[in-house]
Amino acid sequence: MSTLGEGDPLEPRDLSRPDHLPNLRSDGRAPDPSWLPRQRRGTTPQMIGRYPDYDVLASMSDWDAATTQVVQARMDVSVQMTFFRFEEQATVRRFCDVVMAQDCEPRVPVAELVDAKLCAGHLDGFQYDDMPDDRDAWRMVLSGLDTVARERYALSFAECDITDAERIVIDFSASTLKGHPWEELNEPRAWSVCHRAILSAFYSHPWAWNEIGFGGPAYPQGYMRLGPLSILEPHETRGATSEDPVRRVTDSPQ
Amino acid sequence: MKKNFLKGAIGPKDNDSRYLLDVDRRDLPGEDTMHRYSDDDEVDLCIVGAGAGGSVLAQRLARKGWRVVILEAGPFWHPDEDWVSDEAGSHELYWTQKRIIAGSDPIEMGKNNSGRGVGGSMVHYAGYCPRFHPSDFETQTRDGVGADWPIDYADLLSHYEQVERELPVAGQNWPWGHPHTYPFSPHPISEAASVLWRGAMKCGITMRVGPVGIVNGTFGNRPHCIYRGWCLQGCKVNAKASPYVTHLPDALAHDVEIRANSMASRIEIDEASGRATGVAYMTGNSNTERLQRAKVIAVAGYSIETPRLLLNSVSRRFPNGLANNDDQVGRYVMVQGAAQSAGRFPDELRMYKAPPPQVSSEDYYETDSSRGFARGFSIQTVSPQPIGWAEHVAAEGHWGREMREYMRDYNHWTTIGVLNELLPSADNRVTLADEKDQYGLPVAKFTHSLSQNDKDNIAYSKKIIRDILDASGAQDVLTISRYAHLIGGARMGTSPENSVVDRNHRAWSVSNLYVADGSVAPTQGSANPALTIMALSSRLAEHLGGANAT
Repeated sequence: MSTLGEGDPLEPRDLSRPDHLPNLRSDGRAPDPSWLPRQRRGTTPQMIGRYPDYDVLASMSDWDAATTQVVQARMDVSVQMTFFRFEEQATVRRFCDVVMAQDCEPRVPVAELVDAKLCAGHLDGFQYDDMPDDRDAWRMVLSGLDTVARERYALSFAECDITDAERIVIDFSASTLKGHPWEELNEPRAWSVCHRAILSAFYSHPWAWNEIGFGGPAYPQGYMRLGPLSILEPHETRGATSEDPVRRVTDSPQ
Repeated sequence: MKKNFLKGAIGPKDNDSRYLLDVDRRDLPGEDTMHRYSDDDEVDLCIVGAGAGGSVLAQRLARKGWRVVILEAGPFWHPDEDWVSDEAGSHELYWTQKRIIAGSDPIEMGKNNSGRGVGGSMVHYAGYCPRFHPSDFETQTRDGVGADWPIDYADLLSHYEQVERELPVAGQNWPWGHPHTYPFSPHPISEAASVLWRGAMKCGITMRVGPVGIVNGTFGNRPHCIYRGWCLQGCKVNAKASPYVTHLPDALAHDVEIRANSMASRIEIDEASGRATGVAYMTGNSNTERLQRAKVIAVAGYSIETPRLLLNSVSRRFPNGLANNDDQVGRYVMVQGAAQSAGRFPDELRMYKAPPPQVSSEDYYETDSSRGFARGFSIQTVSPQPIGWAEHVAAEGHWGREMREYMRDYNHWTTIGVLNELLPSADNRVTLADEKDQYGLPVAKFTHSLSQNDKDNIAYSKKIIRDILDASGAQDVLTISRYAHLIGGARMGTSPENSVVDRNHRAWSVSNLYVADGSVAPTQGSANPALTIMALSSRLAEHLGGANAT
């Protein structure tokens, strides 16, 4: 049985308890994801999640055509980056992986989705008066990450090992990077531009919906079970951890 | 008494939109057969913007026989094909053309507060439709802050009632402000909202279901809500109210033309008489300017684009922008504080189900001197979907593994928010930036800073929703500071020195130019603005319709 960290031996995951939440833990960090079950149905990023038998894509035939097309386009892995230049591509991939803690396959192609958004000019509709255009901010951030990596580790950001890359991103998120181009950038706002785009890309992907148990597009069918007791729709499943599925069925026969 | 038995069965008079809609398609009926006016045809009224303000004005006056053209910068929607049940895929619904934001408390624009396309921002508003309180129209007199309106609540009352029947609004009997009832019964609510309501009860805070502009029963060809929760991405069901379903079908049936993808660039005036003669606009991606001639012009582009259009309309007579010789255009733009707190609960709540707007309270709406600040706030349940929820988690500084951990816990969370009445300030304003858009027009720059009263209001309200979550039994709480809604920027007043338009929305310095959107509001209360914007336009139409187009 995996545990939620040292001195924190939680018995079969009782998800009514919040002990896994970073703000409630003494170190403020998330427990190692090894406490989570492996995905048994469908795909999640890194094949971890809380709904091992839930696959939102199994409902795709119930979705309207326009929505299906938009969601399916995100799953096309053959898309090449066009906004980020060749020399930026490894950097942006590594950066997005670190920001979303995607440390192994399968990965949501976050960098590719961000690239598509920037390439299409799908910006957020505002620009702080002390910031460049979002597209320029992205390029400055990537070159800045490389500069820091070379100064600290004599490697490009993409060549750094994951821990070193994480250290740089920790400093970026805390706005403590120094030197060019960070002096010319409002660092918290630059972090926000990148983080928002990365989150929007990652959580637009159905694999991430599987990971979090999100019901996904619900049209033309809607929801009939709003609570309080029978809150699951026929296609939803309860959250689970790594307990023995056989025992679970025995304990609560359907 | 008799009225109560008719709940859900009272339709509006003089608006057939609900019957004109097609039960099998979501398209705005009449697009193919829409009346077309030529640019040189001097129409009775040219409206800029097909949102809450412009659409109501067009529908009302078309019924009086006015020949009306609406210029809309965004697309003519075909919801079955264009709208999706998907957060990231709904980008086109928002005004995401660039705006520069500045000040000590800049306001992030885009998906949060700005719409584009036929139907305007109400296409993606949550659906809350509260009225303003009578006190909102005289905050200066009552509380010594803000401004008094040149009209009062009684002037809008009949229009509130009419618009509530047209949307139609569903909710419990309303005990706050001017107590009133709603034409449709309250919707069932989800467990995610019930948990919060129980917490509020423990705190002694009264909450009520609604008011929302969402069909709950039989309403012509508008279907009942299906509780799918995608109100903010455009209602593909046609259950949620927006001008697209509530006023534009009737407008088209009365020969209104909606000219989509038409970006107004300038209002033309006759230098000799000072009267407006038409609206210059550009279509598609063409930079070729066209000019629609009109006897009367109404600007309804909302608090950023209305001032921007006036400021971009420079002439010899108005060197600082149209109707701006007293430097009032673009001032007193307001937003509402809209902090949200989410709580974690032992059971799965799945807040993505049911419309995001469910239960609200106006217990803290009015001034209470014991709180140490003037005016107040309202409390409303909300329910972000995954990307919105990720932004909520990010606001507490989480990313990487910590972000993933909180996100995996999504189904255990529920969210409650506030709307603070932030006070008008002359320095919170829209000006023109150096940067230009795709048409070569200077973009808007919105400068915004909070006053001490604003900060005190926000801090107090955050504590109240925290108390509600604690009383509900929340195991962990995450809070995001944010803003919502827009209002002001071309306010109505008593003289050209303190306002842009008079009590009947007419520009002080241009006799046939009107502003017909939320820009005219001198204060904003703690109410979501959509209903009031529609009611104001309804009143303006009554005023204009009484006279012939001149």
